[in-house]
Amino acid sequence: MKKTLKTQKMVAVLALILLYIFFSIFGDNFFQYSTLVSIFDSSYYIGFMAIGVTFVIITGGIDLSIGTVCICCSLIGGTLFEKGVPMAAVLIIILVIGTLIGVANGLMVSVMGLPAFIATLGTMMITRGFGSIVTGTATVTFPQGDVAGAWFHNIFKFKTASLPAGIPTGFILLIIMAVLMAVILNKTRPGRYILALGSNKEATRLSGVNVVKWETLAYTFSGFFAALAGISYAAVYSTLMPGTGNGFELDAIAGVVIGGTSLSGGNGSISGTLIGVFIMAVLKTGLPFVGLQPHYQLFITGFVLIFAVFADVLNRRKAASV
Amino acid sequence: MKKKILSVLLCTAMVASLAIGCGSKDQKDAGTSGSDGGSSSGSDVTIEVVAKGFQHDFWKAVNSGAEQAAEKYGAKMNFVGPKDESAVAEQVEQLNNAINKKPSAIVLASLDPESVKGALDTAASQNIPVVGFDSGVPGNDTIVANAATDNYAAGEMAAENMYELIKDKVTDPSETVRIGVVSQDATSGSIIDRTAGFIDKMVSLIGEDKASVEGHDKYNNKVDGAKVVLEVGIPATVEDAACVTVANTLLNKADLVAIYGSNEFAAKNIITANESLDKLGADKIIGVGFDAGKIQLDAVRNGIFAGSITQNPVQIGYQAVELAVKAANGEEVSDVDTGALWYTADNIDNEEIAACLYE
Repeated sequence: MKKTLKTQKMVAVLALILLYIFFSIFGDNFFQYSTLVSIFDSSYYIGFMAIGVTFVIITGGIDLSIGTVCICCSLIGGTLFEKGVPMAAVLIIILVIGTLIGVANGLMVSVMGLPAFIATLGTMMITRGFGSIVTGTATVTFPQGDVAGAWFHNIFKFKTASLPAGIPTGFILLIIMAVLMAVILNKTRPGRYILALGSNKEATRLSGVNVVKWETLAYTFSGFFAALAGISYAAVYSTLMPGTGNGFELDAIAGVVIGGTSLSGGNGSISGTLIGVFIMAVLKTGLPFVGLQPHYQLFITGFVLIFAVFADVLNRRKAASV
Repeated sequence: MKKKILSVLLCTAMVASLAIGCGSKDQKDAGTSGSDGGSSSGSDVTIEVVAKGFQHDFWKAVNSGAEQAAEKYGAKMNFVGPKDESAVAEQVEQLNNAINKKPSAIVLASLDPESVKGALDTAASQNIPVVGFDSGVPGNDTIVANAATDNYAAGEMAAENMYELIKDKVTDPSETVRIGVVSQDATSGSIIDRTAGFIDKMVSLIGEDKASVEGHDKYNNKVDGAKVVLEVGIPATVEDAACVTVANTLLNKADLVAIYGSNEFAAKNIITANESLDKLGADKIIGVGFDAGKIQLDAVRNGIFAGSITQNPVQIGYQAVELAVKAANGEEVSDVDTGALWYTADNIDNEEIAACLYE
């Protein structure tokens, strides 16, 4: 089973490289530094959300709230900044709020016993509505340029005079977080318990593992990364509109699934998730370069998703037959 | 089994490349047919257009105008827009892509002026001229010129056309007569211009000292003893119900001779209010609207409205690309008014007018 997961991941990496080469050959000006930075820019918020939600999906659950949590946390942060709170504090508050929402999701699922789909659907509505309430439905703008507080853009893109497209520091952060979470997932006790409760929750509980605690932790990761995604979104796009964020979660979940994580839980990998996210980002950025409207990205990603899940089904059938 | 999985995934990649391959061919065919003139004249001007939408009829009309201009100047033009007006991130990505393609010029109508600031600075640093169109990019000084409707002039046009129809009633009447003005709000720039243009022109047509403007602090200009009253009604909230109430109040005034709605929202709700009152018509109260929309088009067709003003989206697209071509060639460019059109039941199906109207 581990081996097939690896095979799938290798194929995904190959697909990603082939896609990049394809666009480089057929797209005018696709193969250049500034386009690569654009691909990175458009992948951060989906990427962070996907890393977090990978843990939830490995437990066999789902987190539908990440898209709206991402926007809601940043809306709250942006509103606080407009009220005079310094940016460093704003960023910390954003992460804390996201983490707390994650804890709440986790408790609803693990302690109250709500189905994950319903619990996080509720959170999705609550956060979407709360974003509008906090801002009074007004668009929130994060500082940019030389204004105080605009420094946080540097976390995701460091502008220098010699490189007008900027250094994609966000990509470095994304990789650091991915490596960190991969280590937690594969090399530490919490990670192994999360994997275990995903493949058989009851057996894991009976073997004396505190299932409630580790399941809640998975949702907590998801909430934290949704908030981090919100910060990256604010850094890249500067303005946030209340009422948006719906649909981001599906992009993130699609990335996770394309990367080989099984929706039925029990296995998955962070590196696969990142590859899935970048396949979608390269498609999204690349298609206009060969003269296609972005809705072709949806069309094609749909096929990629279905085939990837089909591969997962075959995987599990094989595992069952052994 | 492992082979099977591998083959499935390879199929995935193939389907993806197949779809890309097929699609791109279609698109290229469409592209070349639109810019035949370009390849023959040897021009290599490329224009990237980033609109505020793509699927709405208004933007389709803008697109057709842009295509006409691209064909005339032999430029290669590519038109994109986000899925709806809240998709700010999508638009920023589209703008970044447009800049990465290193075009000769970019045409942009931003959903949010703040979100595109960084991208526009990048465009400026690469000396790619950016032309604004429709609502443009308010407050950004990297935009070389704008192609947009002069809303004040469009409002004046509404007043001139209405005046023709009510001249006899408002020229030194014996009893007080009233002209109603319904405006969505008093905060949005384009709507203020349309309303102010209408009021100022109507007052000057009737005579400065013969018309009094009342009803809203922003526009008030009371003239004692004036026999013509322009009454401005602005709903408390941008909700259909609130606006219908305002329209009802105006339509119920016995001395009302005409009523103007300065955008689709205002016009639509005047028509809704009239459904139960039945006061609008050629021999009754003269109604004049702005923009289009199914309800308003039907009202114009059925004679409930005497006519309406529409922006000219085809011209917006055409003039924007024209400005972009000029800017790309290093010519000096300045803002242009893309004009407005007066449409009535008689000319509503004319080719030029119909292209500008949406349901």
